[in-house]
Amino acid sequence: MPLDTSTYSLGLLRVDGRRWNELRRIHAQIRTQAAADGSSYLEMGHTKVMCVVTGPTEPGPRRGGNVGSAGGAGAASGGQHKDAEVLVNIVIAGFSSVDRKRRGKGDKRTLEMQSTVANALAASLHIHLFPHSQITISLHVLSQDGSLLAALINAATLACVDAGIPMTDYVAACTAGSTSTYAANDESADPLLDLNHQEEQELPGLTVATLGETDRVAVLVCESRVQVSRLEGMLAVGVDGCKQVREILDRVVREKGRKMIQEGTVERGTGLNDMDVD
Amino acid sequence: MPREAEPSLNEREFVLKALQENTRLDGRELDQYRPLELTFGDQYGVADVTLGKTRVLAKASAEVTVPYTDRPLDGIFNIATELSPMTSPAFEVNRPTETEVLISRLLEKTVRRSGALDTESLCLVAGQKCWSIRVDVHVLSHDGNLIDAACFAVVAALRHFRKPDTSMEGGVLTVYTPAEREPVPLSWLHSPFCITWSFFGEEGEIALLDATWLEEQVRVGSCTISLNKHGEICQIAKLGGTPVEAVALLQCTNVALSRAKDFSAFLDRKLAEDAKRRDKGGLLAELSAENDR
Amino acid sequence: MATERPLVLPGDVIPPSLIPTSANPNKKQQPLRLGPGLRHIPPSDIVPTVAGQLITVPHKNSMWVEYNSSRYTPTPSDLVIATISRSGPDFYYASLSPYTANATLPHLSFEGATKKTRPQLPPGSLVYARVTLANKHMDPEIECVSSATGKADGLGPLKDGMVFDISLGFARRLLMARSKEEGKVEVLELLGEEGLAFETAVGRNGKVWVSGASDAKGNEGVNAKTVVVVGRALQETDTKRLGVEQQRKLVKKLVREMR
Repeated sequence: MPLDTSTYSLGLLRVDGRRWNELRRIHAQIRTQAAADGSSYLEMGHTKVMCVVTGPTEPGPRRGGNVGSAGGAGAASGGQHKDAEVLVNIVIAGFSSVDRKRRGKGDKRTLEMQSTVANALAASLHIHLFPHSQITISLHVLSQDGSLLAALINAATLACVDAGIPMTDYVAACTAGSTSTYAANDESADPLLDLNHQEEQELPGLTVATLGETDRVAVLVCESRVQVSRLEGMLAVGVDGCKQVREILDRVVREKGRKMIQEGTVERGTGLNDMDVD
Repeated sequence: MPREAEPSLNEREFVLKALQENTRLDGRELDQYRPLELTFGDQYGVADVTLGKTRVLAKASAEVTVPYTDRPLDGIFNIATELSPMTSPAFEVNRPTETEVLISRLLEKTVRRSGALDTESLCLVAGQKCWSIRVDVHVLSHDGNLIDAACFAVVAALRHFRKPDTSMEGGVLTVYTPAEREPVPLSWLHSPFCITWSFFGEEGEIALLDATWLEEQVRVGSCTISLNKHGEICQIAKLGGTPVEAVALLQCTNVALSRAKDFSAFLDRKLAEDAKRRDKGGLLAELSAENDR
Repeated sequence: MATERPLVLPGDVIPPSLIPTSANPNKKQQPLRLGPGLRHIPPSDIVPTVAGQLITVPHKNSMWVEYNSSRYTPTPSDLVIATISRSGPDFYYASLSPYTANATLPHLSFEGATKKTRPQLPPGSLVYARVTLANKHMDPEIECVSSATGKADGLGPLKDGMVFDISLGFARRLLMARSKEEGKVEVLELLGEEGLAFETAVGRNGKVWVSGASDAKGNEGVNAKTVVVVGRALQETDTKRLGVEQQRKLVKKLVREMR
């Protein structure tokens, strides 16, 4: 995989004109679906994801849903079914990528992503408050342009916030890459933030999700060959990117809250007095 | 389907309490593996890996097929994982559990996507004939850390495997039986190994290697790192679970690298031993016309 | 006491000389009692159904086959370590061995238990209990109190500690009245002589519970290591089938490692 100049030119600009440490435009909305307990819509560049959260509800007929094949990914449902179960269901639309490829229900990559999102959120959600119940997260991928897993995690976090499920903090995710190829041990290689589809194909990259503003990594997925020495730089950039993403998600949630107060959909609570409503 | 038995509260609490005192139930150090054993079968390409009470068998096989139309110059390489009821009554045939899906994904990412096997070398006639290499992974007994054992077994089986020799003359493809020509090894580029860390404690502050089944049931998160001896990461998978400090993960990676080097040396030694065992008496014995009596 | 223990295989003919008879004419004729692994085919044949050692006890007029099976079959008056899996309106459902039907443990079968004072056991707790009812077609029942005396006799919930899995044969050997002479297990006594303070409970379902008694200073740190050493000693004696002399060596080695 030779690094051609189209990906990273001497002007240190990437194909889409970003610098190494710039995120793509993130646009997000919450409460997009009136019928759902919680919902969100998220764009990271051209990656577009919708999320709907149902629950916590009584578990459906499919008990002990640890069997991933049926589309659910049972999260660590603690001791003898003490905690709520987080089920994630990902649908990748046929028109979402350039070549129309039908992915079956049993696609292992999708199952792996389902289980990753479920386990990442289960660690942040206070599932012990809802014994014997389940939280269903449905994710729909409308368009893919790299950083898919990160977008899914971010959308799921927003929808859980909208659903009002108590959680420790945001789980914010983004990707990081490196301009070095796996074989070359060039010290001059730069880390990159937020890879798009083309960069993801050509360069080594990883997906990081952190909890809130801390440096604690909830998800770390790397699927390409890369020198061990590159990892530190990529991880640092990734974690930093996650903090930026967290800021953006937080702004979206606050914005929506402010709007809802203005419209009078919710009572302005006493605790909200310090919140500036213009 | 009977449910997997869960450990009692006493066991959960004790495992944690002991770990906080740096004690493991089998007296190992936190970063110590159980004794790893590897035996090759009489056939080429059969590897039986034992890691404590965990046992995994991998068998590689080859056949000539038609390549995929979108990749006419590549051979076909597949890894099939099977967790049968032999391992535990909680596993059912033909109904992959989440564990099984994750293991096969990890093996695929570690061995196939990292380009450990040169698939272009499997091509015989472009667009018409190619080798299809298949590795079947059977888990015979499950006492934790299936991933590391399975990955080691797959790599060992593939490196031990010999496919029949072929030749192309005037557009005619000949596949030779082992009697006609000695089978040839696969074109192998690098050997990746999986190293799995398990995290314990409220904030995932206790990390240990090679967890047993009981420890796996109690852990709050895990991170599988695949590396080869050249210090290349082939894959990292921390799929959710309790968040762990980024710095701790970097340390884990460095320890994992030294473990991968140990594994690599161990496998090289075992392969050399096996080659010696097969090559009794060297070339002279091969040339001798004397029969066994 | 018959010292020889012949090996029998399923379907073997048991020589009549081995079948105990009430040789003592003064005593009242006791009926012959057959234990596990033996089957009576009328009129007078006794056939072993499993492979193992035939054990006869003439003075009790009983015989059985001692064998090491891997699945536990509940038998009345066995002492077992059960894991509570859930609680019903009147019973706890407790699991004796994995992948088998749960046993029932009435809420009130604890020492001094009334509707109000009964112990509240969350799922996953351990109890030391006695099997009261076991037959082929029903779920077994267990109790934590002697129904005759109303005393616990050491039964009841097990707090803290750790459970180790051992083979069923080894559990029976540990439970023998004279485990040292008959069962050839000395490992617990040896560990005690080394100055380790711990308590154990052995369940016939192949589980042994070990807990470290906190020492005089209340030093908790000693406990986990002690428990691990005891558990490892038991498991190694079991899996490697160690004799008394080897057990002695093992205990020396483990205790040295610990300190």
